[in-house]
Amino acid sequence: MKKTILQRENNRETGAAAVAPAFGRSGTSGKELSAKIIFLICALFSIVAVLMIVFYLLFVSIPAFREIGVFNFLFKKLWNSDRWADGGNPAEYFGILPEIVSSLVITLGAVLLGGLLGVCSAIFMVYYCPKKVKGLYTQLINLLAGIPSIVFGFVGLEVLVRGFRELFDTPSGMGPLPAVIVLALMIMPTIASLSRNSLESVPKEYYEGSLAMGNTKAQAIFNVCVPAAKKGIVAALILGVGRAVGETMAVQMVVGNATNYFPTGPFQGVETLTTIIVNNMAYSYGLWREALLAVGFVLLCFVLIINVCLGLVQRERKTERGSLFHRKLQEQAERYAREHEFRAGGKVQEALRWVCISLAWFVIALLAGMVIFITVRGLPNLTFHFVFGEATNTLGTLRSAFISTILIILMTLLIALPLGIGAAIFLNEYSKKGSWYIKLIRLFVDTLSGIPSIVFGLFGMVFFTEILGRRCLLAGSFTMVLIILPTIIRSTEESLREVPDSMREASLALGASKVRTIFRIILPTALSGIVTSVILSVGRIIGESAALIYTAGASMLEPGGYLSPGVTFAVMMYVMSSSGVVDGYGQTSLEKTYATAFVLLVIVALLNVLVTVLEKKIKRKMLGDGGAEKRKKFRLRPSVAAEAGTEEAADGATKGGVSGSGIFADGKKGRQIV
Amino acid sequence: MKTIEKFTFENNVAIEVRKMNLFYGDFQALKNIDMIVPEKQITAMIGPSGCGKSTLLKSLNRMNDLVEGCRVEGGIQIGGVNIYERTMNLAMLRKNVGMVFQRPNPFAMSVYDNVAYGPRTFGIRRKGELDAIVERSLKGAAMWDELKDRLNKSALGLSGGQQQRLCIARALAVEPQILLMDEPTSALDPISTGKIEELCMELKKKFTIVMVTHNMQQAARISDKTAFFLLGEMVEMGNTEQIFSVPADKRTEDYITGRFG
Repeated sequence: MKKTILQRENNRETGAAAVAPAFGRSGTSGKELSAKIIFLICALFSIVAVLMIVFYLLFVSIPAFREIGVFNFLFKKLWNSDRWADGGNPAEYFGILPEIVSSLVITLGAVLLGGLLGVCSAIFMVYYCPKKVKGLYTQLINLLAGIPSIVFGFVGLEVLVRGFRELFDTPSGMGPLPAVIVLALMIMPTIASLSRNSLESVPKEYYEGSLAMGNTKAQAIFNVCVPAAKKGIVAALILGVGRAVGETMAVQMVVGNATNYFPTGPFQGVETLTTIIVNNMAYSYGLWREALLAVGFVLLCFVLIINVCLGLVQRERKTERGSLFHRKLQEQAERYAREHEFRAGGKVQEALRWVCISLAWFVIALLAGMVIFITVRGLPNLTFHFVFGEATNTLGTLRSAFISTILIILMTLLIALPLGIGAAIFLNEYSKKGSWYIKLIRLFVDTLSGIPSIVFGLFGMVFFTEILGRRCLLAGSFTMVLIILPTIIRSTEESLREVPDSMREASLALGASKVRTIFRIILPTALSGIVTSVILSVGRIIGESAALIYTAGASMLEPGGYLSPGVTFAVMMYVMSSSGVVDGYGQTSLEKTYATAFVLLVIVALLNVLVTVLEKKIKRKMLGDGGAEKRKKFRLRPSVAAEAGTEEAADGATKGGVSGSGIFADGKKGRQIV
Repeated sequence: MKTIEKFTFENNVAIEVRKMNLFYGDFQALKNIDMIVPEKQITAMIGPSGCGKSTLLKSLNRMNDLVEGCRVEGGIQIGGVNIYERTMNLAMLRKNVGMVFQRPNPFAMSVYDNVAYGPRTFGIRRKGELDAIVERSLKGAAMWDELKDRLNKSALGLSGGQQQRLCIARALAVEPQILLMDEPTSALDPISTGKIEELCMELKKKFTIVMVTHNMQQAARISDKTAFFLLGEMVEMGNTEQIFSVPADKRTEDYITGRFG
């Protein structure tokens, strides 16, 4: 648009009539333009961040690749830093083939098991869950999603590993099997919620059409609806792969950590790409350290490849929708005819139905078991000293961890919130929908969200801590900004999309500038999404461990400010779970770990409740008294797309739900005003 | 440089559209429109869907700028000022040419804040002054008595008809000279529609109103001038009684007698 708006508000004295500036004045409003540039910079930040991480990590691992050789590094079976330290040829002693194989095997197992649990839960949620418990069930799955990986790992170590040791008479009880189980539980909520979105976006006609042909409910679901949602479920599984391959702490605690072994049995201790980094990093130096950074880079490459796969799957999904309905119905009709002939129909589907329902409740039972276990072991250990006492170098207290956690949360949000909201505003308010730069920025935001936290940790270690000269809370906060930024952008963007275009029109038609429209009308209306993103971010920061150990340090003393190191709850839990110190009150560090796990669990649960309550409250406030019903008619709300991969579904829904008077009727193709 | 706060209308002419063509990309939505809107009257624009009447309405305060690929040739002059000039100040244009939309679109704020939004945009901050404007605007929209006790309640809790009248009040709050109404009653029940029509009759004493409507009776009931549009062209325009009794063009007659559209 011609940038002719002249937004001047200088003659304020005498009311509306007198404030009018000249009609004849021209020029671009500086305020409008600079706002746009600021939002653009926020949006570009994600691109810069991803490129920085990839290239800087490559840059610092180049010496390792050069001296070891890429082929030797990737395909040799021996990792022995001692031999190298004794003067051995690095090309001989830094091979990570066992780690790569173990990572792949464990990831595969976790995705199979987690996928089964997740998809079954999703089917249960969409089709079989009684309406009354649906909300509760979703809440519980969300709770499961929010539990920090360190807690999963610790429970895995204390329950699974011990159990296996007794049960199967293996010396350690550690190995790929417990790792697979722990990982499966961790990625299951993600898969469940994405599959659920995908199932819910299957047109109702599929289901009805199938029933109309005489199918049972189970047949309709498993023969028509689930296959129709296949692409979305595949996308969910790929996302699960990304999470599983990058998971660090939980795996490290149960996988056995035996270097140079291939996963030959369920209890053969192995090391994965992520755990080799954690196991070595504290002692490494020189080329050894660089080799570990190179492992991080390899891991990053894996994740990037997975992201590309995800992109491909989603693109395919778009093109294939059209003819599906007819094909499915035809298949249905044929199958129906066949089944009538043999009178054997529906048995398999009936069985699948019960598998789904029982697995769905099994997951909840596990969750309940976990919660009860942690509560029973943790609550009694919340002693006065542990909560309020002075921390020592070897034994932290909740007080010091609380201070560090709060400091990191504040700083992280202070930086990430403006950046994320700015980026979301640019993406939603200033750009043409579907333009190439929007796609590019989205691609990078998605990529950023897929990078494992250990890689962020490594990057923060070689970048932020180098710049700041030490491991400290500030370096940890900077690292966390990168981690939570995609969440904030996505969540804010989603709620911006929900703001009806008629609001924008109304404001602009009153002569308000675009900036004013954004800050006075759009952002307040989108508040619930922003608040949600803040709470989710807080949860993420509290649960994070791998990214913070190498950036904020592992000192359990009370932090003296942003430039001193400190541990958050999760990091403290990790450090204490592996130490055997007893404090002056006779409390072991293991007992303290349980207590910390309990505290983490309580916080996560509270945050979950907070999200629900706040969202409800804000919505009610915005909709006015009894206005809810009326509003629903005008607005078709996009389904909540919690993670990447459901963006399209949300897009589609928004397109259909624009309630303006036509200016924006074809999505946000409308030119963004002046 | 001359500072204009308000448009000055000469010879009772508020808006003058001259040889105007409007394109959405390659599609020509309006063809060679010539039209004069008189001051302090209600001008109704009628015609079948897609005939370009809403497009023309939105060109009058340049809300069409929001549509990608929209291009205007020829000119629209309001009070003798060409509003498509590069130097046009959109904020001031829209302040003086207010708009009421098809669907009520109150902001998710209190009644008071909805009405005060416009004045605040133009820099009025003093409470007393705002109070006065809110009261005056709500009275202008004939809903002060209804709403004076619930000024701080959310506007979204109002009924559809109330919401629409609130939107009118919101538009009045910035003291416009012209009010554009895009099928303001199409989403409302008959009683609310009646109230809004009454209100329009009242408002035309002070404002110039241009209204798009699908409702033939509505045009006949309340408008002074009627313009009939078909396929992007203005077929004819004249006094409402004349258009509805002795239309000059066969197509107009066909339309108002319900033969097509």
